[in-house]
Amino acid sequence: MQYSRVEKEFFFRLNGEEVRVRAPPGYTLLEVLRHILHLTGTKDGCSSGDCGACTVLLDGRAVHSCLTLISQVEGREVTTVEAVDEKVADAYARHGAVQCGYCTPGFVVATAYLLSKMHNPSDAEIREWLRGNLCRCTGYVKILKAVESLAGDDG
Amino acid sequence: MKSLSYIDVFTPRSLEEALELLDKHRGELAVLAGGTDLIIQLRKAQQKAPNLLNIYMLDELRYIKHDNEIIKIGALTDFATITESPIIQRHAPVLAEAAATIGSVQILNKASIGGNIVNASPAADSLPALYVLNATLTLRSKTGTRKVAIEQFYKGYKKLDLQSGELLTEVSFPAMKQNQIGMFFKHGLRQGDAISVVNGAILLEVLNGYVKDARIALGAVAPTVVRATESEKTLIGQRLSEDVILKAAQACLTSISPIDDVRGSAAYRKEMCVNYLYMTLWQMMRMVNL
Amino acid sequence: MKQSTTWVGKEVVRRDALEKARGLTKYASDMFLDNMLWVAACRSKYPHAVIKRIDVSRALKSPGVVAVFTHRDVPNNRYGVFVKDRPVLCDDRVRYIGDIVAIVAAESKEEAEQAVEEIVVEYEPLPVVSDPLEAMKPDAFPIHEGGNISRSTRITFGNVEEGFKASKAVVENEYRTAPQIHMFLETEAGFSYIDEKGVITVVAGGQSPYRDHHEIVSTLQLPPEKVRVVIPHVGGAFGGKDDVSVQIYLALVTWKTGRPARFVWDRDESTIAGTKRHASIVRMKTGASADGKLLANDVEIIYDTGAYTALGHAVLDVAIENCNGPYKIPNIDIKAWLVYTNNMVASAFRGFGAPQVMFAMEQQVDQLAYELGMDPIEFRLRNALKRGDVMVFGNKLETSVGISQCLEAAQNHPLWRQKETLKSEKSLPWIRRGVGVAAAIKGFTLGALPDRGSVAVELRRDGGLTVKGSFTEIGQGVVQAVAQLAADLFKIDIEKVEVVFADTGKTPDTSVTSASRQLFLAGNALKKAAENLLNLIREVLTTRYGQKVIEARFENGYVVGPGFSHSFEEVAQMLEEHGLSREVVGVYDVPRVEPIPGSLEIPHLFYMFGATLALVEVNILTGTVTVPKLVSIADVGKVVNPQTLTGQLEGAAAQGLGFALLEEPIIDKGILKTTNLSTYLIPSIKDVNEIEVIPVESFEDEGPFGAKGIGEIGIISVAPAIANAIYHAVRVRPKSAPMTPEKIYWLVKQAGLTVK
Ligand SMILES: Cc1cc2nc3c(=O)[nH]c(=O)nc-3n(C[C@H](O)[C@H](O)[C@H](O)COP(=O)(O)OP(=O)(O)OC[C@H]3O[C@@H](n4cnc5c(N)ncnc54)[C@H](O)[C@@H]3O)c2cc1C
Ligand code: FES
Ligand code: FES
Repeated sequence: MQYSRVEKEFFFRLNGEEVRVRAPPGYTLLEVLRHILHLTGTKDGCSSGDCGACTVLLDGRAVHSCLTLISQVEGREVTTVEAVDEKVADAYARHGAVQCGYCTPGFVVATAYLLSKMHNPSDAEIREWLRGNLCRCTGYVKILKAVESLAGDDG
Repeated sequence: MKSLSYIDVFTPRSLEEALELLDKHRGELAVLAGGTDLIIQLRKAQQKAPNLLNIYMLDELRYIKHDNEIIKIGALTDFATITESPIIQRHAPVLAEAAATIGSVQILNKASIGGNIVNASPAADSLPALYVLNATLTLRSKTGTRKVAIEQFYKGYKKLDLQSGELLTEVSFPAMKQNQIGMFFKHGLRQGDAISVVNGAILLEVLNGYVKDARIALGAVAPTVVRATESEKTLIGQRLSEDVILKAAQACLTSISPIDDVRGSAAYRKEMCVNYLYMTLWQMMRMVNL
Repeated sequence: MKQSTTWVGKEVVRRDALEKARGLTKYASDMFLDNMLWVAACRSKYPHAVIKRIDVSRALKSPGVVAVFTHRDVPNNRYGVFVKDRPVLCDDRVRYIGDIVAIVAAESKEEAEQAVEEIVVEYEPLPVVSDPLEAMKPDAFPIHEGGNISRSTRITFGNVEEGFKASKAVVENEYRTAPQIHMFLETEAGFSYIDEKGVITVVAGGQSPYRDHHEIVSTLQLPPEKVRVVIPHVGGAFGGKDDVSVQIYLALVTWKTGRPARFVWDRDESTIAGTKRHASIVRMKTGASADGKLLANDVEIIYDTGAYTALGHAVLDVAIENCNGPYKIPNIDIKAWLVYTNNMVASAFRGFGAPQVMFAMEQQVDQLAYELGMDPIEFRLRNALKRGDVMVFGNKLETSVGISQCLEAAQNHPLWRQKETLKSEKSLPWIRRGVGVAAAIKGFTLGALPDRGSVAVELRRDGGLTVKGSFTEIGQGVVQAVAQLAADLFKIDIEKVEVVFADTGKTPDTSVTSASRQLFLAGNALKKAAENLLNLIREVLTTRYGQKVIEARFENGYVVGPGFSHSFEEVAQMLEEHGLSREVVGVYDVPRVEPIPGSLEIPHLFYMFGATLALVEVNILTGTVTVPKLVSIADVGKVVNPQTLTGQLEGAAAQGLGFALLEEPIIDKGILKTTNLSTYLIPSIKDVNEIEVIPVESFEDEGPFGAKGIGEIGIISVAPAIANAIYHAVRVRPKSAPMTPEKIYWLVKQAGLTVK
């Protein structure tokens, strides 16, 4: 079986800037970010929607970039961890919520999304909203603390 | 996982254009809605993936309306929107409850109700709720529109009453009445998101403490979602009591034919159906008899 | 002797944390080089088969393909740390579905993937041996030439029969545990290139650069100086990257093509081909006297190593050494087997053989306590090891022993004191609650095996220090801890300490990052380095002042002595002026004793201890067990960084909870059915509730500032504590882990528990 590569041009906003990229229309956004643009803050933990490491904001909503085709992104706005308010990453770092760190960018984006929807989430709400992000290192205790520290912070 | 570098993706600007394309490339295109099922399926498949019709951009299929006591949901509406919708929370809380359990927040933001229906997994979490709500599906093709009752839509395991030129455009059902209560249950193998080992929905119409009507649907225990008709019969005309709900729960066994798979044995699934029906009815009993 | 410290013991935010959280850290899987080839593997289609023919001609013609390699391209096609039983690329046979028959290097990912489909391999299927008990039978189909027993041994002390005779209570049970999958978030990944000096450089997730280096040069028969291995920040390892994965293939491609290459396993490949925790069958007969003294333990241990031995021989030793728990038992008889099957390869996983046997032993002990009518903690305390005791293997414990302190902390904990109240509190009619306890022990360092580590310390011109060691940053925070130790040993501000890690081209061999000993080794080697640097400085000053300088010490970033005080900057300059290197090396040989007969590394001189308390809720109508609270108590010697310490223990507790309740690979005749994170479930943030960490500081004289290892102890007693809590709640003994809802459901149903 040999299939030849199809490529098309796509325009979208990435972290506030217009980008134009040639990519196979069947590529996932994750593949485009990592393999073509080499913007590697967004991680690939499973490519199946199970781990959340690849979380990005699509028009401000958290989605899996591994389950989003570049064709679904045309004309939209994508925000990756690199452009998320640094105070979220900082809270994770300060509270010791980062060990190997491979899951962390996904958590940071998911947290930024949570805080955009809810200023003062309860413990149960934080768990509900982060349930799709897996971390194998921390046991989540410090992740919860990091997010709690950001709650109610309108700064 | 394989990359889909060799497929083409068509992105229509309107529903009309989508139906046009679907007609023109009959049988050659797969429909891409949110993509949360389809993308993994295509990347894992042994066979060559088909080209795609990307309907994700069709905002005209995203809506929730309350029309003459009928609730209408556009097929592309995602489950986050459904579960947060005041209309759904008020008029179909059993669906709001089910919708909230579909995957993670990231999945909820992208997974569409149409995709959940057409993907036709027997474990799909919106289906039992849609069954008990008596949902109707609107299917459109270039040549026309037809409506199918959800129970008629499924002909067998992943066998659907859907033609190759057709799109699912809308799901509708009557708003729940004041005297109806509904509950959804789902047995997953972890507290975080998990695919259902069994799931189900119960809708009871209660008049003066008696069950006037009961509809119960169960998932992941047969090739399609099934109605637990014997359980329903056991309840109708009765007051809810320990005895009645236990009998009703056990009566579901005649309706189901589960199989063994990685998530559980058939025997366990049977017990879970009975026990979840019991636990859910027990909670409903408390609500009714309050 | 306890030393005063500025940095050790202080809560310091990890230096690598913010960059990681912002997505700026480059892991091996994040690197893309110009002109880079993509590597894809052609894996076995059968769990067990003879290879009749391999034809790569069509694959070679496939678009974009640059090279296809088979066993013919590997000069020395067998590797393995204990037994060289594993082919790089299969030649005569495949022994599990993760085996690689050929690899393709192509211009793009999809071209490599497509070419793999063009490789023709003709197999002749062989009988699949998937059950270790079947595999052990004399007439079982042999997976390797010497049969299916990779190692077996028997170790006895005292006389168990007499012990049982003197016992008031004797319990006998069989326990099983499933092969846990590491599921680190970053799969096995790496890239390679030839550097400006012509050295083949492999940058890949791993735990031991020098070991990986050895496996590459020995299989490809390359001159050692022609290969360099670098391990950048690793996205999780937990023992699963202790063995080589992508490294040899990357070196092969770059060596043969001269081009950079990238090889990253996808999740399915990782779960199928990566190593696992050994599945176990443990049989135990344990006896105790009427006054609650353990008298005898008769043990059979069967560990399934899968298709190859990997680190299995050492894992089996750890199982043997720790299967008696942290207790004094006069009579033991331990028989142990490491068995080949056509299942996935097992090797190192946090705890390294201890969690499986502790799942058994700690339930045995619990049952004995119940049968004798004693409080389970009181019973354990009565038998707990103390400093100066003679352990089961005849060795005298002369290092720190914190088990009694751990158990007392558990005993005084409100969860334990209120366990009967918690049990009787009512919620929904189908919920039952219970509290359980379990203890843990594990030797750290490599025990009786030779174990040596070196670090280099460079005094920089700017007055800072650069510490270089081959320890790897797999998430555990070793870089931070080393910086803290160095700052305290050299009395310098931590900001001035730079750490260079895991690079065979730049760092000396600090030995492997496993067995919870990296900090212990690096810390002690650093101590030596500090002494060596002071000696060097004294010599220089002696020459400079023309009189012998006997006294010199580090203080506040200065080297001071009677009548002098020099900043590190000045010292660096002096060294240079005297034509001396600004770099010193510290070497540490871990103290050890001779192994006892029948073992490789038993006994250790150093042990970690711990205990876990668990509160569980069991739904008797579904079998679902949830854990509202875990208390993780660990004897850590001395806390180096509270944040890192609690982080390690919390993480270990969560992994233990997964091992206990969720993580169940389903294997059907050698074929893994649960290859992803939607079928193989690891704990999510909703599954892990409150975890309280209680460190116990027993102060280990030999450890740097008193510290012991902390990486593994926290996982070992979690599963038995949960099992014992389930027993407390519903009075059934779950003897098979994971204790999934379905398993618990049937047990509870059999026991006849009902809602009313
Ligand atoms: C990690 C993960 C967790 C999940 N958890 C759950 C869960 O808990 N419960 C659950 O029920 N599901 C779950 N799912 C499955 C999935 O998210 C849902 O089934 C979702 O609703 C599918 O919608 P979609 O828009 O993404 O569909 P797509 O993947 O785009 O499409 C699915 C199928 O439907 C067809 N299709 C879609 N829309 C139409 C249309 N309008 N007309 C005709 N055909 C159409 C497509 O061609 C395709 O065959 C999960 C999936 C993942 C990856
Ligand atoms: S990589 Fe997308 S969810 Fe795991
Ligand atoms: S920090 Fe390693 S997976 Fe979360």
